Amino acid sequence: MVRRWFTGRTIIPLLFLAPAIIALLIFVYLPVVENFYYSLFRWSAIDPTLRFVGLENYRRLLSDPIVLRSVINNVLYAVISVAFQVYLALVLAAILESGVISRRLAAFFRSALFLPSVLAITVIGVTWKLMYSPEIGVINQVLRAIGLGSLARPWLGLENTAIYAIIGVSQWQWTGYMMILFIVAIQAIPRELFESATIDGANRIQQFFHITVPSVRETTLVNLAVTVIGAFKVFDIVWVMTGGGPNHASEVLGNYMYRVGFRNDEMGYASAVAALIFVITFILTFIQLRIGRTGKEA
Amino acid sequence: MRVPKGIRWFAVGLLSLALLAGCSGGSGSGSKAGETITLRFFHKWPEPDHMAYYNAVIQKWEKEHPNIKIEMEAVSDEAYKDKIRVLMAGNNVPDIYFSWAGEFAWKFARAGQALDLTDAFMNSDWKDAVVNSAVQPYVWDGKVYGIPMRINGKFMVYNKKVFNDLGLQPPKTWDEFLEVCETIKQAGIVPIAFGNEFPWAASHYVGDLNAKLVPPEVRQADYLLEADPETLFTDPGYVEALRRFKELNDKGYFNEGPNAIGHDMARSNFLVGNTAMIYVELEEFVTVHEEMGDENVGFFRLPSNPGDRGDPNVLTGAPDGFMIYSKTPHPEEAIAFLKFLVSEENGKEYVRQLGIPSAAVGAVTEETSFPLLEAGLQEVDKASGMALWLDTDINIKVIEVYLPGLQAVLTGSKTPEQVMQEVRDQALKVQQELKAGS
Repeated sequence: MVRRWFTGRTIIPLLFLAPAIIALLIFVYLPVVENFYYSLFRWSAIDPTLRFVGLENYRRLLSDPIVLRSVINNVLYAVISVAFQVYLALVLAAILESGVISRRLAAFFRSALFLPSVLAITVIGVTWKLMYSPEIGVINQVLRAIGLGSLARPWLGLENTAIYAIIGVSQWQWTGYMMILFIVAIQAIPRELFESATIDGANRIQQFFHITVPSVRETTLVNLAVTVIGAFKVFDIVWVMTGGGPNHASEVLGNYMYRVGFRNDEMGYASAVAALIFVITFILTFIQLRIGRTGKEA
Repeated sequence: MRVPKGIRWFAVGLLSLALLAGCSGGSGSGSKAGETITLRFFHKWPEPDHMAYYNAVIQKWEKEHPNIKIEMEAVSDEAYKDKIRVLMAGNNVPDIYFSWAGEFAWKFARAGQALDLTDAFMNSDWKDAVVNSAVQPYVWDGKVYGIPMRINGKFMVYNKKVFNDLGLQPPKTWDEFLEVCETIKQAGIVPIAFGNEFPWAASHYVGDLNAKLVPPEVRQADYLLEADPETLFTDPGYVEALRRFKELNDKGYFNEGPNAIGHDMARSNFLVGNTAMIYVELEEFVTVHEEMGDENVGFFRLPSNPGDRGDPNVLTGAPDGFMIYSKTPHPEEAIAFLKFLVSEENGKEYVRQLGIPSAAVGAVTEETSFPLLEAGLQEVDKASGMALWLDTDINIKVIEVYLPGLQAVLTGSKTPEQVMQEVRDQALKVQQELKAGS
């Protein structure tokens, strides 16, 4: 049996895979290991002398109020994103596919809702920043025009609204995209199921819960995983819109890692924050894989 | 489909080779010395008019020195703070790089990333070609590590029409300043345009107030983290500075939601006449000059009250300049280029094209500049000293507590006392780290 390893039949595929595996090892796995190694030191970008501090960075991580704030913001991001990008997107997809509204109108909404996801994130960030602007922003102007002026506020400038203002933009951008994925899944459901249900007297809401939801289960799980993991890796939109401010109120883990590393010159601590992000996303991915497998068995 | 064995092996070999080639590319760039050399030049002015100026200077340089090519790169202000660190982390430091003055520059000197220019500068005619007071903030441990490119200071610019209509005069004391703001507010005009999305904007106010409320030697020792741990950042002037800053906000003298808008937007608000005043840098005078006209605006230094314990004549501002990488393979050429860049001839061109005062001696003349700028420079000369930008003058780890604290003071989530306590705690920690490190 051992000798078979050296025959062309096994070694040729391995050789073909080798470049990809080597690249993966060097560019993905090695940095992960290195990151853990570097998190045990105190060092800065400017002066890369390594000073061993053991688990000091991790101890600090656990007592750092900004890390806590960041994790809470990431969890908020995940929860709200799941509500919009998974559940609302599914409902929207079902409505557009159900024939309640005309096909042309459905096509229009499909494109209109999908459109934000093709825009560059910096463009979106800057545009929304203007819309949120306290005096000239369209949001406050509309609020004032319809007599809700008391609700108008500097959305990105207040500690209790900044993170929600950013999360809102994210929903605006991605709900339509997720909706398209659900539409594809719904279109794959055999029409006969709906027809026979109609004959049996099931109304649209019953059809939604008993046919659509179970049939798109796989897509739901994938979207769920993508959304939750994405919410823990978010960086760009926050960085563009508030940079984590005011006073760290909208800080997320990705953002904080960058700030600690490249602003505060604490690369070791930034590595520890990176390790925390890695552990969180790793656990989430692991759960997703487990759920994905039971999905297949069902 | 069966592929002949030979071809399969060939394909595998080819792929592996391609991968190896891809990995090793880049390391083989060590060209033979002697022929043409390339200097990498990195700064923070990517704006088209600035780039046009630098491109012209580089063209002129390359014509005179055909064997020394300059490879320029520029990113904007906020991004520069990160990118220079990334380059240093990767040991990919440009030969000539921009640096703010003060602590921002000193930390490069401390880490051995900046070339000691003392000999080249002091023992040649170079020292007569550059405004000497602007060199001081680049001196660390008695040695010159950077050369200033331009001079900067911070002034409160006001709309003359608003002041005349309301019968107001530029204030001489802080209390008068508050009265001026109140009168303007009562007239239904926003007194001061203020955009603090990036909190450096607030740090300029607080830096100025600190300089006027805290005795100079105390402030110096605190900023450098050299003060006695017992007294580090305990001077009551710091809290008073935050209180005054907060008062401007709480009394409604700033526009709404300063934390939510950027400085550029605030400036536009002033330029179109929506606000009566704005706190701007000398380098922004040219915009005011172009948009509003010199005759329609005036300016004054932020005033202090008679009893204040700091230096009333100090001005907030700092030169911008360049440093040379300590391990550059071509130090002499880099120095030559820097000399060329901050020469009278190129300095004049700088003022003429960009309307910003160059640090080259003799660059700002009636011919190259405009009245507003000349008046501003005179004020800089009159100042007893410069209080450097707070955010580049204190250790970055302390600043990362101080600046968000300023935003918290504005939103009211923290009191001035709380913020200064946090600054002190952080400063003590960093002080210990520095001691342990050295």
